[in-house]
Amino acid sequence: MKPLKANSHLVLLLRVGAFLCLAGWTWVHFYWEGPYGVLLWQESSQALAERVGIDWDEFVGTGANDGLVQRLIGFTSWFYLGATILTVTVRKKSYLQMMGLLGGGALLGILAYARFVGAQSQIPMLVEHGGQVLAPVLLVLALHMGARHRVTIAAAMVAMMMTFIGHGCYALNLWPMPATFQAMTTEILGVEHETATSLLWWAGILDFVVCVGIFLKVSRRSCALYAAIWGLLTAIARPVAGMSLSLNYWGADQFIHEAVLRAPHYVIPLYLFLVWRRSDELETIAGDSKTETGPDGCQTAGPGKITRSPID
Amino acid sequence: MKFIKWLTISALVVLIAGVAVSQQKNQKRKGRAVLSVPKVAKKDLICFALYTVHDNILKLTAQLYPLAAGDSRIVRLEIKKEGEWVEVARTKAIEPGWTAPFRVEKWNDSKAHEYRVIHEAGATYTGTIRKNPVDKGEVVVAAFTGNSIHPAHGGDISRKDIIENVKRIDADVLFFAGDQVYDHFKHYAGWLKFGRDFGEIIKDRPTLCLPDDHDAGQPNLWGESGKVSTLGGASDGGYARPGVYVQEVERAQTSHFPDPVDPHKIGQGIGVWFTNLNWGNVDFAILEDRKFKTGPAGRVPKQGPRPDHIRNPEYDPASVDVDGAILLGQRQLKFLDRWSQDWTNTEMKVALSATIFCGGAHIHGGANGRLHADMDSNGWPQSGRSRALSALRKGFAFHCAGDQHLATIFHHGLENHRDAIWSFCVPSIANLYLRWWEPLKPGANRETGAPDYTGDHLDGFANKVTNYAAANPEKKPAGKLLNTRSAGFGVVRLNTKKREITMECWPRNVDITDPATKQYAGWPRTISQFDNYDPPSWGKLGEMTFDVENPVVQLIDDLSGEILYTVRAHGKTFNPGAPKGRSFTVKAGKNEPSTVILEKAEVGAGSRAIRLK
Repeated sequence: MKPLKANSHLVLLLRVGAFLCLAGWTWVHFYWEGPYGVLLWQESSQALAERVGIDWDEFVGTGANDGLVQRLIGFTSWFYLGATILTVTVRKKSYLQMMGLLGGGALLGILAYARFVGAQSQIPMLVEHGGQVLAPVLLVLALHMGARHRVTIAAAMVAMMMTFIGHGCYALNLWPMPATFQAMTTEILGVEHETATSLLWWAGILDFVVCVGIFLKVSRRSCALYAAIWGLLTAIARPVAGMSLSLNYWGADQFIHEAVLRAPHYVIPLYLFLVWRRSDELETIAGDSKTETGPDGCQTAGPGKITRSPID
Repeated sequence: MKFIKWLTISALVVLIAGVAVSQQKNQKRKGRAVLSVPKVAKKDLICFALYTVHDNILKLTAQLYPLAAGDSRIVRLEIKKEGEWVEVARTKAIEPGWTAPFRVEKWNDSKAHEYRVIHEAGATYTGTIRKNPVDKGEVVVAAFTGNSIHPAHGGDISRKDIIENVKRIDADVLFFAGDQVYDHFKHYAGWLKFGRDFGEIIKDRPTLCLPDDHDAGQPNLWGESGKVSTLGGASDGGYARPGVYVQEVERAQTSHFPDPVDPHKIGQGIGVWFTNLNWGNVDFAILEDRKFKTGPAGRVPKQGPRPDHIRNPEYDPASVDVDGAILLGQRQLKFLDRWSQDWTNTEMKVALSATIFCGGAHIHGGANGRLHADMDSNGWPQSGRSRALSALRKGFAFHCAGDQHLATIFHHGLENHRDAIWSFCVPSIANLYLRWWEPLKPGANRETGAPDYTGDHLDGFANKVTNYAAANPEKKPAGKLLNTRSAGFGVVRLNTKKREITMECWPRNVDITDPATKQYAGWPRTISQFDNYDPPSWGKLGEMTFDVENPVVQLIDDLSGEILYTVRAHGKTFNPGAPKGRSFTVKAGKNEPSTVILEKAEVGAGSRAIRLK
């Protein structure tokens, strides 16, 4: 595999990750509802609205029609759709589109904050969304700075760590484990509660191990590969555990998006695995190569800008 | 570089641990209560005790704080006989949950007994097993729901007012309709707190606690016979928490209930506790309206932002009444069929469940969060509701429930408005999630001067309901956290002499025996026991005069062979109601309808004398 092709594949991979994440959330916003109620249905939000001259009925609606709250939640869906389209259309020089994608990341950040507040301000809930929030940011970085640029790689490592630390905190019961963790394990593996708890505890340990392991050259590839596989398994666990032939659309509308929007959980570690898998080879090539530009316009080689992860 | 690497890793670990610790400490500041199991002295190891007496069987559960490794697991129950303490049962404390359930047969309920629960480490807990109030003439039920403990909505305010009021009215039965514990992970700690808050009144009177969704550790509950739920919000049906957790919850809250009538377990080894309690000649059916109910996600066409919420007012209600959707389930319906016919030692019947049989609110959460229908209510599935109400009205059962966080009185309808039972949904002890009954159109056939929201309505599932009262909270609650949010409790007075039912709905922190104290608007309301099945379209078969007091009368439809109803008449005369244009076989007896007293009886027949001796 030539570096040029490899790098375009890396960008494509990050593009797919960001696309699936935003597409999944777009589905949630259009078909279900964004989780912002917990932020908007608050006395402080109402007070803020009143301070800028929006009265009560205008803010919450009359009951028979929508108020600002409902309209705001509705508008958000279109922003998500826009950001999803941008993941497909954005190119190296498309600075406006990149800004739009960063806006998509900000939207995911707000969403993560809403989920955090909804989960009684449990820090892991905020942290575990890091991978999703950073997915469009990573795509922008890969396009702008290069898929192998140390900043892109460092951001990917942070994104992966946030996902796995968040999950790990729950799996180790440092914060109360979401009921679905155990339920999915029990349902898919057909094991008893005690076994599921034990399995999840070990999975939690491994979540932290991979976060440490990616800092060590000797273990980073295997850790990234494990994280990619585990991220994929945990993402598809939702539809696997929940879908059934007896449900409308087999339950696809209830569960598929849960796997889709978690794409960064396995795409980002896979990206890191691929980056590090080729690093030795690329280090050799980099010594002889000049800076090239791939089909996505990404920088694919060049001394000082590529090949080494930040803490190597 | 290696040093920097390890410094980074160490900093990460310290950060996570630090955040974990500080978050636990910070919970209280954010309006949330911190639940923990306090360490207690050995003498205080027994937190509280709950009991029921039914059919001369005493069942009592002592709730213990954690025993140390070296402590004996044996717990003893003694009663005072002629001044001496006599052991009547001993049991082993069950882990997890540290419950010690006792069962004593041949219990003499014709007199009160002092009891004490003893643990050999030096702990003693005392209380009184009441005399069965069969001759009292009025059974007073104090009813509660929604025991939030979080300060943000007044959950941290002392329950002393409730304790004092229950003592003032000397309630015969306590009914906690659900959500005794809101913490989804620490039921044991929450249950101990519940015991510390209410143990003072629970220890001396029969108490029924129905574990609802939050007790079981999830926001809503469609139990689907013990399935495992994997969808956030649990609307796919089943239990979100592991079966062992649910078993512990039910052991703590229900192991003192009369023996279950159909104890066959459901999925994940979860037990079944629906049964009846006969106390003071009132027969209470204790129902599990969550355990068998089908989850809506994937079963009904999507109609709103959540699988269990319907926002679209134009939807077709019949479209969500899908085949195979269960409410009470066949096992409970069979029980109700038998229960409604059995009037042994019974003058009135009451059904208790977690929630009411209709969509009992329009606005959810925020002041204008209008939902057309909520499938968490027993208004869905409509066919299941219909089967449940049909069974209950056959015994003229009055219904008391909670869950809604909004006190209401409804007269339910099936074929027509007001042709089924009445229900009283009691207010929350502390109300964390506000709801309003606020139909868009004024109700039909309202009482003179009654608010627009009363009267005949269709709920969001097109179920026929007639509202008589709703304790709507203030639109923007402020100031008094409890009463502006319509917190409070209910009192149901079951007058077995007059056969009347009085519903009272009290706010918090008042003296309910003070004549100046006002109830929430719409209360009190008194109905006759016979209003629970008295469709406006019916006529009367003609007055029957019996030679015995209070005979049991049963009407059987000649065409279908189905029982229309069974009821204990009030006094020696009874004028049975019945649909016009149909004929009935009437059976009667002193305690069971064993004798055919009339054949082909129709509305409009004259009066007659009946001999049963």
